[in-house]
Amino acid sequence: MRTTEILHLAQPSARRFAPGALLGLLSALCAVGLLATSAYLITRAAEMPPILYLNMAIVGVRAFALGRAGFRYADRLASHDAAFRTLATLRVGIYERLVPLAPDGLAGTRRGDLLTRLTADVDELQNLPLRVVQPLLISGAVAVASVVTVWILLPAAGIALLVALLLAALVGTAANSLIAARSERSIAPLRGAFADEVLDTVVNLDVLTAFDATDERLAAVERADARLTRAVLSSAAGSGVATGILSLLAGAASVAALLMGIPALGSSGFDGPVLAIIALVPIAVFEVISSVPLAMPALRQVRSSAERIGSAVPDDVPPEIPLDRPTSAIATVDASNAVIELRGVSASWPQESSPAIRGIDLTVSPGDRILVTGASGSGKTTLAHVLVRFLEFEGSYRLGGVDVRSLPLAEVRRTIGLSEQTPYLFDESIRQNLLFARDDASDDDLIAVLERVGLTEWVERRGGLDARVGERGSLVSGGQAQRIALARALLADFPVLVLDEPTANVDPGRADALLRDLLSASADPDGRRAVVIISHLPVPAELITGRLRLG
Amino acid sequence: MKPLDPRLLGYARAARAFLAAGALIGLAQTACIVGFAWFLSQVIVRAIDGQSLSELAPMIAALAGVVVARAVLLWIAEVTSTRGAARVKSQLRSRVLAAITKLGPGWMADRNATSVATVTGPGLDALDTYFSRYLPQLILTAIATPIVVLVIFLQDWPSALGVVLTLPIIPVFMILIGWATQTVQKKQWHLLNALSTSFLDVVGGLATLTLFGRAARQAERIRVVTEQYRVQTMKVLRVSFLSGFVLELVSSLAVAVVAVSVGLRLIDGSLGLSVGLFVLLLAPEAFLPLRQVGTQFHAAADGVAAADDVFEIIDAASARGAEAGTAAQSAPGRPSAGALVLTGFGAAYDDQPVVGPIDAEFPTGSFTAITGPSGVGKSTLVAALLGFIGHTGAVTLGGRAIEAGATGLDWISWCGQRPGLLAGSVFENVTLGSRAPDRELAARALGVAAADELELDRMLGVAGAGVSGGQAQRISIARAVYRALERTSAVLVLDEPSSALDELSESRLVDGLRLLSATTTLTLIVVTHREAVARAADSILSLEPAAMAA
Repeated sequence: MRTTEILHLAQPSARRFAPGALLGLLSALCAVGLLATSAYLITRAAEMPPILYLNMAIVGVRAFALGRAGFRYADRLASHDAAFRTLATLRVGIYERLVPLAPDGLAGTRRGDLLTRLTADVDELQNLPLRVVQPLLISGAVAVASVVTVWILLPAAGIALLVALLLAALVGTAANSLIAARSERSIAPLRGAFADEVLDTVVNLDVLTAFDATDERLAAVERADARLTRAVLSSAAGSGVATGILSLLAGAASVAALLMGIPALGSSGFDGPVLAIIALVPIAVFEVISSVPLAMPALRQVRSSAERIGSAVPDDVPPEIPLDRPTSAIATVDASNAVIELRGVSASWPQESSPAIRGIDLTVSPGDRILVTGASGSGKTTLAHVLVRFLEFEGSYRLGGVDVRSLPLAEVRRTIGLSEQTPYLFDESIRQNLLFARDDASDDDLIAVLERVGLTEWVERRGGLDARVGERGSLVSGGQAQRIALARALLADFPVLVLDEPTANVDPGRADALLRDLLSASADPDGRRAVVIISHLPVPAELITGRLRLG
Repeated sequence: MKPLDPRLLGYARAARAFLAAGALIGLAQTACIVGFAWFLSQVIVRAIDGQSLSELAPMIAALAGVVVARAVLLWIAEVTSTRGAARVKSQLRSRVLAAITKLGPGWMADRNATSVATVTGPGLDALDTYFSRYLPQLILTAIATPIVVLVIFLQDWPSALGVVLTLPIIPVFMILIGWATQTVQKKQWHLLNALSTSFLDVVGGLATLTLFGRAARQAERIRVVTEQYRVQTMKVLRVSFLSGFVLELVSSLAVAVVAVSVGLRLIDGSLGLSVGLFVLLLAPEAFLPLRQVGTQFHAAADGVAAADDVFEIIDAASARGAEAGTAAQSAPGRPSAGALVLTGFGAAYDDQPVVGPIDAEFPTGSFTAITGPSGVGKSTLVAALLGFIGHTGAVTLGGRAIEAGATGLDWISWCGQRPGLLAGSVFENVTLGSRAPDRELAARALGVAAADELELDRMLGVAGAGVSGGQAQRISIARAVYRALERTSAVLVLDEPSSALDELSESRLVDGLRLLSATTTLTLIVVTHREAVARAADSILSLEPAAMAA
């Protein structure tokens, strides 16, 4: 996905964006107006005119004071509301792009936590209207309004203010991006290296202690810390330059207004109160535009989030990912005759040059139990992903006698189920985690299937079907997660079931027992279900009917 | 939340220097604020009185000087806070890392290692904003606000009264609104939490949803849930934005009140313009630092929370200090050979036995497999033998008592269930802790561990990234073998050494271990579930749950 396309999704429509922006502008104008009217009021009052002449100014001062706070409050509510409304469109928009690619077409999904980061990046995009577009628009509008007002009062002072504001925008932005670029170059890698050293040390504390290597290790961390701290200290002189320049230019604008205003005193329409206004307005304007330097880092953050999303979501579906273009008139697979026939099948992952599996022949008939073994990296998971059509293949793959490419993807996945190596558990109740496999299942069905996978006692201990499984299954051990995943697959009643390394995240002591339990539970009463089990652990010969060794 | 935790000053000396510098800068900044208002109002008033530009030149020059000084001070303040934050973080990090190593693996075992690493590493970066935005404003509030109010008071006491009466409204309302926000949030905390994680949940489970043909219909659910999330969050924001509203309202109303009251008194001649304008310019400055403190409150809270996590660890280590020190000291001279005998040996947390006791004898050069159902406490016993946690009973080696718990002794080498590899080469990993790394010995150790296909110079990433799970396990076995051979340990303990290996690699590892056992006097103890490994041992020690119940 292109970055501009993503940023476009993140920015609310003009209709939604306008109320917040207008209210914010009113609030900023009130802030400038408050100082200008106050200065006018006081200097005019010193001339001791009848109080009648000052009534307007007095009302103005009070109104601006109330308006500044009131409009600001309304602005924040309106603009946040607009940003949240856009978030729904944004999330759905990105999600719909993810669906045809998931899971293997998303770049980097093999590295693990990509998806979690992706959601954080999507939510980060909310800051585009809130912290970037709106402050920039408001600052620009207030700057223009103030320059015009001052220009009307005294053209030379107006131009001086314009120059100061332009310089502030240019120098502030330039200084900011220079410093950011430098810290990106010199500090960010050191920070990353330091974080890695700390992680290595803390995670492996037991090993380091047992091998007397803690001191040596702490010294290495200390060295990384010293390098990082040195880099931060040496680049510290750059920080605050933009703030300083902004303050300097604000002061300079006031001084320039005085230098131009004082000689003009006495000329037509230019008197003391006007001098006070043109000298004081720059103070208020610069306070408003002080939000501009903060918009730049926010924009950088939003951009890098958008870029990360863009790089994770390819523009086109890569050739390694199957497209859902069924060609056959036969749209269903006969469950009782769901024979899998692979002949000379090769497959590769997107963005990888060499195929992960090559020339695989495999036949799985109803009732078969095939054990797939092989060293790590030999393509066991690749095979599983080809079977459920997460990955495209070369060669011949027929399901129920039909070329699998001619079938709808959904139909293949209705026939062949996969219990993943690391099953995903939703942050919901146990019931919800089962129901999505078959939403018309009754509680009795659920309890029956939990019984089959040996979880009855566990569920009772947790307090029944309504017990939550915890965020991302955090309250569930690896073995229990496998059992829940199998229960889901059993509910969905797939004619063919693929179990991918069910013992990968399981305590070694429980692995053998789990393997037996899963294999016996996955049999259906009439023995028609076929099971393909991928395992690095030995599986007792009586539980399987065939083997395939990869690599 | 405490605005400034005294422990920060205690644990990081740099923080004290920062505060001192901050106070000096704050004082100078206050002088600039007052000077700017003074010169600006004077120039305007005198110009209105008819003084010419040339007469006012010195005063305008002084004003320009203040402007420059103000800008320079702002820059210095930022530089100081960046440097201060960097120094404080560095000091805190080295203290907390020392504390963690002192607390040891037994303490780590109960914790999530990644979150401890985050607390010590990137977590502390929250202190950056704390130092650069919050603390300077806090100092400025303490210094500038009273001075500015005093100056206003000396010039025009009714205006000062107005400011003094409105100032306290800010903290009072901030606290009230803070409570109200908390109440609203607490009421729907679960709902908000569930709604905010729901998108993550759908995207995270995308593969699973696709497998069950449910992915396509989640789009509508995302829309509905995000909409609910907006409605609920806006309820909270309506209250929490009130604090910003009060901050702005009070400070701008105070300016309005001062302006109007000064204006009215100017009309009846009871006040001069120079005083009036000066006071008008100063009044907002009395509120500014307090407003900034208010807006940086969240950044500050994050910083304080990050520091709190670190202090907790440091405090735990200093509480542990005395006991841990003595245990390591009382280690006897190094027995290098003989049978290992455990008598009434069990693992204990805080002197409470949790596993055992058992009695066992491992003759010199023997190869023993320890088996038993999962959860019986085999790894815990190993941890006690290594001294990661406390133990009961006695350990003797060749008849001499050994203080199990004295880690760093050469008599025992160990390989745990987790490979625990570090970034660096295979060679560096295998020779971890060695004072004189030896390539030949490392190659031999890799051979014993059936890992001789791995190049010694192959580089591994963080946490051993770049090799498969089985390879990582074999490297970690080689590391323990290397240590045992280099230091001529008496005992080598391997905990589930083949759990990630396929049958072929496992049988090669078993061959390597048998050869090692046959050619050295090393006493080999292997905790295992795998039959192939247990079969290769001279004897099997089977731990049963009944026997283990203390």
